[in-house]
Amino acid sequence: MRHSFTAVIEKNATFHEDFETEPYECAWASEARWFIHVAELEGDGASLSARVQVSPDGLFWCDDGSAFETISAPGMYSLAVRDFGGWLRLDCGLDGEGSRVRLMIYLVLKE
Amino acid sequence: MSHAAADIRLSRFNPLPRILAFDDFDDGLHGWCELVGNHNGDLNELQPVFSDMRPAQLSTCTFFDLGTHGAVDGTYSMKLATRPRKFHQAVAIKRLTSAADGLVQFEAWFTYKAEQTFGAKDPGARAWDGNYHPSEAHFGSFTLWNDICEGTEPRDRYHAALRYENTNEEGEFTQRWLYKTGLHPTTRMLREGFDSNQNDVHVAKPDMWAPIPGGDQQLCFNEVPTKVNWHYLRWLFDLSTRRNTELQVNDLTMDLREIPVLRFEEGYWGINRLLNLCMDVRTTSNVRNFLYLDSVVISADW
Repeated sequence: MRHSFTAVIEKNATFHEDFETEPYECAWASEARWFIHVAELEGDGASLSARVQVSPDGLFWCDDGSAFETISAPGMYSLAVRDFGGWLRLDCGLDGEGSRVRLMIYLVLKE
Repeated sequence: MSHAAADIRLSRFNPLPRILAFDDFDDGLHGWCELVGNHNGDLNELQPVFSDMRPAQLSTCTFFDLGTHGAVDGTYSMKLATRPRKFHQAVAIKRLTSAADGLVQFEAWFTYKAEQTFGAKDPGARAWDGNYHPSEAHFGSFTLWNDICEGTEPRDRYHAALRYENTNEEGEFTQRWLYKTGLHPTTRMLREGFDSNQNDVHVAKPDMWAPIPGGDQQLCFNEVPTKVNWHYLRWLFDLSTRRNTELQVNDLTMDLREIPVLRFEEGYWGINRLLNLCMDVRTTSNVRNFLYLDSVVISADW
């Protein structure tokens, strides 16, 4: 039986500016899949970007190299990652004039 | 020799005759999940304090200076982590029901830390002197608690909650065990107008905690935020008396039989024989606080 765990990293959270998700430990898993469920995305030219970041210690971060395609409408979006070491987070950018996003972010880990 | 002493993995515990759960976090989270408040499908209905309790993590206890610390045995422990925001609280819950009234015991090997910070995060804080580390003052509290409901009658539901308060709301060292003297409103009570600060899942106001007699205790923070020493904890409560019985943390054992446990005046529907066990960590600074559990044993005398 394989191990699996789904963490709700952001729950019905509203953002008006760029943000990073909280650090999440994932050393036990060899595969991961992010889900971003955008419930609302408002503002003139509003869009959301999300880059995967990794870290050796949960304190200092760098880009993993993978990223979601730019999100410009409500909906469910997903991205798979591997070889991420011990920690994962998303570095999210909110573009557009007076933008606002309300969303869920899930991290599904499997070993 | 007790049945636990004959098992090398259980011999560091002292369980009651029936082991309901042995949660060694080297092989998963064993049903410890994030606490979520009540809602009707619309998450906007969540009480603010119950809306962001954070998912538990399987931690390797890895730090920037020494790498992986690991756990008492194996590599992994369960970690609860707050956000880096004053009074944020992370809560994990394990949901069971009880088959009879009687004793229930929760045992754990645990440790706690504040996240490493760099530079002067708190001007005026006591300085590092080679032994004392200011990181210790960044840690707020951790709490073990239950949610019990025998049936649907008024006063059938109660929460026993025991808190280790390292620093108080002002961030001053107190290092003592507390019990709560007030209820946190349930979602139903809040909808009926009950007032709450919404920054502690246990109480509506911070003065609703009281010291446990003989409950002063200094734990082993161990000087820096990247050294972890595991502590033994044993909490015994009695479903037949609706009271705590005792709490042991290393060499300190507190008799809790005279400590009052508040009951909800209303009756609750659909939670008969509820037996929930919870752990949480709450920061009193703008620094992430962590509670780690290497392993947990839940046992009963029924």
